[in-house]
Amino acid sequence: MITSRRGKIEGFFWFGIGMIICILGWKAGLGSFQEPGSGFVAFVSGLLVSMLGLLFVFSGDSSKVLPDARSVSGQAFRGAPVFLLLFTVGVLLGYGLFLETLGYNITTFLLMWALFHLFYEKGKNRLVLSFLASVATTGVTYLVFEVWLRSQLPHGIFPWW
Amino acid sequence: MDVVHHLFYGFSVALQPLNLLLCFLGVFIGTLVGVLPGIGPPGAMALLLPVTYGISPVGAIIMLAGIFYGAMYGGSTTSILVNIPGEAASVVTCIDGHQMALQGRAGPALGISAFGSFIAGTLGLVGLMLICNPLAEIAVKFGPTEYFSLMCLGLTILIYLTQGSIVRGLMMAGTGLFLSLIGQDIVTGSRRFTFGLIGLLDGVGLIPMVMGLYGVTDILLNLEKIADRTITKIKTQQILPTKEDWRRSAWPIGRGTLIGFFLGILPGGGIILSTFASYALEKKLSKHPEQFGQGAIEGVAGPEAANNAASSGSFIPLFALGIPPNVIIALLLGALMLHGIQPGPLLFTDHPDIFWGTVASMYIGNAMLLALNLPLIGMWVQILKIPYKTLFPLILLFCLIGVYCASGNVFDIYVMVIFGGLGYVMQKLGYEPAPLVIAFVLGPMLERNLRQALIMSGGSMGIFLSRPLSAASLLIALVAVVSATIPALQRRRKKVITEG
Repeated sequence: MITSRRGKIEGFFWFGIGMIICILGWKAGLGSFQEPGSGFVAFVSGLLVSMLGLLFVFSGDSSKVLPDARSVSGQAFRGAPVFLLLFTVGVLLGYGLFLETLGYNITTFLLMWALFHLFYEKGKNRLVLSFLASVATTGVTYLVFEVWLRSQLPHGIFPWW
Repeated sequence: MDVVHHLFYGFSVALQPLNLLLCFLGVFIGTLVGVLPGIGPPGAMALLLPVTYGISPVGAIIMLAGIFYGAMYGGSTTSILVNIPGEAASVVTCIDGHQMALQGRAGPALGISAFGSFIAGTLGLVGLMLICNPLAEIAVKFGPTEYFSLMCLGLTILIYLTQGSIVRGLMMAGTGLFLSLIGQDIVTGSRRFTFGLIGLLDGVGLIPMVMGLYGVTDILLNLEKIADRTITKIKTQQILPTKEDWRRSAWPIGRGTLIGFFLGILPGGGIILSTFASYALEKKLSKHPEQFGQGAIEGVAGPEAANNAASSGSFIPLFALGIPPNVIIALLLGALMLHGIQPGPLLFTDHPDIFWGTVASMYIGNAMLLALNLPLIGMWVQILKIPYKTLFPLILLFCLIGVYCASGNVFDIYVMVIFGGLGYVMQKLGYEPAPLVIAFVLGPMLERNLRQALIMSGGSMGIFLSRPLSAASLLIALVAVVSATIPALQRRRKKVITEG
């Protein structure tokens, strides 16, 4: 069963999300029942979400069919590899940030080096192995996507790459 | 005779060299995806959607459908050999399949799984051909009222059958519906909910969203359990099942096919549910139920037949009504719409090549899969040995390239990463992504039909109750939601879901 404190927090969160959707729908124009406007369906979906959020706040999750015990016992994130997760999400966002500036080859090499380096076990050859794997991956994917499939990957500030 | 005539036409489309190649690529990638834990069919299909831009719509659907049913075949390999299901529909195969492998009978387990899948997949296609066309002829008479109500019903059944709470499922659906409205208003053409971001002018992309929620999220979830895998050694000559194996498996395959086909039509967890239903039925009918869990071949044959027949059945709502019953079919719908084709009853008259070409290609694909899964089992075992530490960065890179190539816009990479992170948090907190994705895909159609129905009725909501099919659909949807709050029915639903 969902813990009451977490249920309330979740309920208020969804109530807030629902209200924001309602306001956005209202701003976009509700129209009328005869001629619904751009925001009509959004308003209805926001109303649904906020009402369900209130249901969470006042009565918990009434259906209570939650097979993953960890998800309901307030321990959902216990044991999660926080550093690995944040690092992975961070490098993916960084990839998007630098892709068009540095170009496909440099950005992909840096991304793969970071990821391989992170996942490979510590040892004397870790740096070399991850370096070689990154070079190989970048080269092969460039060949497949840019040369063969002509996907028009970004060249960045080094147009000759 | 009409069906036979159309099927021949379908074969003339599917046997064109390019379509044949795409079919092979689809089933090959599908098997690969089924074998490899960490990326499922939705992620793989989203990854390959951009590749389909340059090919014909029928070729695109042939390839994407191949990934879907190919994954059903491939998923059993990891279940039997490593005790890790390649995808959710193969979970139940682990129970007896892996036990058989531990007893040195991995070959017959893999063999009966491949043969059972082939038989069920092929019979399922016969059902698909026979039901789809008449259903479409009825569906032609449907108006926006019926479509709106049917979509509501589909979404509700999906939420009802999905593991997890109904309230959370409904909230996910509400959020997915809102996300689908971002961008251009389909009626007035005006922009809405873009928050001044240029990247949102065309709305949130289906590809980055699915890739984030399924591809990136799967990797993030798997970061917790990067573990060594032990693979049972098997020899290729051991693959063929014995006469006794066939005798014990024949009826389970037949029953699994029937269960799978009809449950596959249901929205939501129909495919997964069918495997558990088949397993439970075989155990109940068996003279030796105590052998189940100890390596009973019936426990492999039935569920494997069920998941393949279900994959055929799940095409019926898409082709006949234009309503996707699960995320994978939603992606097929998305692919058709990207090519400017609206699936539904008119598909049979406007684009017969797509329906009949796809059906014919599925017959061919099933035969290809049999060849891929039996003699090449050694190759799939070798692929299983690729360590996660090498696999995960590669999958992430393919997701990034796929998303970027689809739109040429870096904004979509951010969208994918954000949905990947959100998907991780959602799954940890017990929120399933499927209702969000289905609502996202159905959103624009739902909105168009609702607005059209209201305009037609002069603003009266009574129109939804004045039409029999619409009223019945809404009533069933209401009953499904309300029943989840009644304790006795709650327990029954819980039992169905935990067993399935």
